[in-house]
Amino acid sequence: MWRTLVWKEARELLSSAKFATAFGVTAVLILLAFYAGARNHLQAVAQHRASMAENARRLDGLTDWLTLQEYRVFLPPSPLEALVTGVSSDIGRTAEVLGRGEISAEDSRFNEDPIFAVFRFLDLTFVFQVVLSLFAIVLGYDAICGEKERGTLRLTFAQAVPRATYILAKITGSLLTLGASLAAALLAGCLLLPVLGVTLTGEEWLRLAMILLSGLLYFGAFLALAVCVSALSHRSSSAFLTLLVAWIMAALVLPASAVLLAGRAVPVPSVDEVSSQKASFARGQFKDFATAMKDFKAPPDTPPDDIQALMAAFQRFSDSLSAERTARQKEFNGRLNEERRNRLRVQERFALGAARVSPTASLSLAMTAFAGTSLVLKNRFYDEAEAYRARLGDFLKEKTGVNVTGSMMVWRTTDDSETPEPIDPAELPAFEFRPTSWSESLREAAGNLSILAVFNLVCFAGAFAAFLRYDVR
Amino acid sequence: MSYDRPGETPLLEAIELSKRYEDGVLALDQVSFRVAAGEILAMLGGNGAGKTTTIHLFLNFIEPTSGEARIAGYVTHREPLEAKKRVSFVSENVMLYPHFTAVQNLDFFARLGGRTQCSRDEYREALLRVGLAEEAHDKRLKGFSKGMRQKCGIAIAIIKNSPAILLDEPTSGLDPKAGREFIELISSLRDEGKAILMSTHDLFRAREVADRVAIMSSGRLIMDVKTPTLAGQDLEEIYMRYMSGHAASQAVAS
Repeated sequence: MWRTLVWKEARELLSSAKFATAFGVTAVLILLAFYAGARNHLQAVAQHRASMAENARRLDGLTDWLTLQEYRVFLPPSPLEALVTGVSSDIGRTAEVLGRGEISAEDSRFNEDPIFAVFRFLDLTFVFQVVLSLFAIVLGYDAICGEKERGTLRLTFAQAVPRATYILAKITGSLLTLGASLAAALLAGCLLLPVLGVTLTGEEWLRLAMILLSGLLYFGAFLALAVCVSALSHRSSSAFLTLLVAWIMAALVLPASAVLLAGRAVPVPSVDEVSSQKASFARGQFKDFATAMKDFKAPPDTPPDDIQALMAAFQRFSDSLSAERTARQKEFNGRLNEERRNRLRVQERFALGAARVSPTASLSLAMTAFAGTSLVLKNRFYDEAEAYRARLGDFLKEKTGVNVTGSMMVWRTTDDSETPEPIDPAELPAFEFRPTSWSESLREAAGNLSILAVFNLVCFAGAFAAFLRYDVR
Repeated sequence: MSYDRPGETPLLEAIELSKRYEDGVLALDQVSFRVAAGEILAMLGGNGAGKTTTIHLFLNFIEPTSGEARIAGYVTHREPLEAKKRVSFVSENVMLYPHFTAVQNLDFFARLGGRTQCSRDEYREALLRVGLAEEAHDKRLKGFSKGMRQKCGIAIAIIKNSPAILLDEPTSGLDPKAGREFIELISSLRDEGKAILMSTHDLFRAREVADRVAIMSSGRLIMDVKTPTLAGQDLEEIYMRYMSGHAASQAVAS
């Protein structure tokens, strides 16, 4: 009997015009998301290569490592971030790693193409969050009350059909049919990637599979919710209205409200406020530095006519003051940054915790965790760039004997008869961005996947319990 | 297939069956009757008389406040699945799955009814028996008229081959020809030994096909007679007399 009911559910769904329309739209959007993602990725790869080439071109003709300027590192594009954009389009993709200031990422995708910021990308997050949930609602809102309205429920329960079997078969049939249809569309989308020239590593395929699984879990939660509401309603119109309100709350209102609430509950000083404090401290530091520089006295053993020795002594004096100044500024900046980061972390935790009331937020967080485009990406890029700057500083010091991140005064004599050798750019330490590891991503996403699973269970249980008391007349 | 328990003759039995809804309305008040194998009982009565409530109690769509409805000896609210295995139901407006063909609908409900081994020929035979033209068998039901759907409904009952059949105003809205064909089908099912309980407004058809006629008013069974005893009498007049008499007694009682 269970199989008969599941089979009937599948056949009824597949033969309806409603399914054909809803699935057609969803499938087209899924394929479009994959297509747009693939194109964006290829474009991003081309841009990345061009930027890297430009960065390397700056080194052409340099004969002294000390003349190296505006050397940048770049956040490499990943095919998954084109499919699940997350924060990747909002954060800068390049950072200057020479100089004393703080690392600051620039040239975000939205900065370069503001039109995309207005309309955002058609990515899988959008398709899953908006289209899949609506697809589930449109095909599930009349699962029970629609059968009652059409009169088929009475005839079914005039047979020896246990209610528990019926509702389980109903949910299973809908889930299997719609899930399989969506899986087919998603698989077709996945196949588009290699066809369009996007290659994924084994781990990236695994991550993509988890992203799709998260989407199907989210779809399951909304389908179960739709069946639950349908089993609590006697009219399909009222079930649809209820679900529409629930969808607006889950997809639009709750995540945004959580962020607003967190902003009110945990105030965080703005970047400008922090920068202003840093600048004020730096001005004081510079004043002290300038005053201290006036106190330079040549060491007693320096011959008065040996200008080279004098300059070397001055350089040492300046380096020492610079190092102290830098250390103080760094400590002050670090403290401010740490305080801001801590508050920001509390605010984020608050916002994310509150937003998880909505399955839409949980889905978004799980997907971005697997795609490596969650909030972690920005800090990771900054940390990696910072670490690279330290390595680069060590390299340059080794090459030049000078701390290039401090203030310098270089006095160099050259022999015109010597032809300076160009520097070898290949000697530069390579910047390799390490994306979050699979285990880190899994840890980050696990909580959200669990929440989605709980949403599924609660809605399934609700549908089950509601139907056991349903008036089938 | 025989579902009867040895020694139990009435396939459909109401024993002091009462139903009071949550809003306090007494829809059925101590109703008792029996329908034996090979017998048709026609329940007459106005709207709200309790005919449909009686059928819903037999199908366990609702539970009785007191009393019992039994199908082949099984109390419907205690053993609903066993009871429903032994009964078929044709409603006033048979609604089937519009995207399925007649055969597919028959197959689905036959399987729910426990007939999992039916062949396509058996379905076609049942559909032909109820008068559904062969070219309609593989057409989707969304284009079917009410008469054609009613025929499919009775074909489902035929395929299920249950010993008891419940009909809730099955000829309502049918044209005279379709109504006539329907009644002939019911007669033939009775002749096969089915116990049939039919609620109807149609006095003419009731008299024509039923073995017994019962009249219900305000949830009470106020008359239950064998059709031959009505020979030479005008059933409409009797019906009106009973109805007005019961209404008057109700007024006096209140």
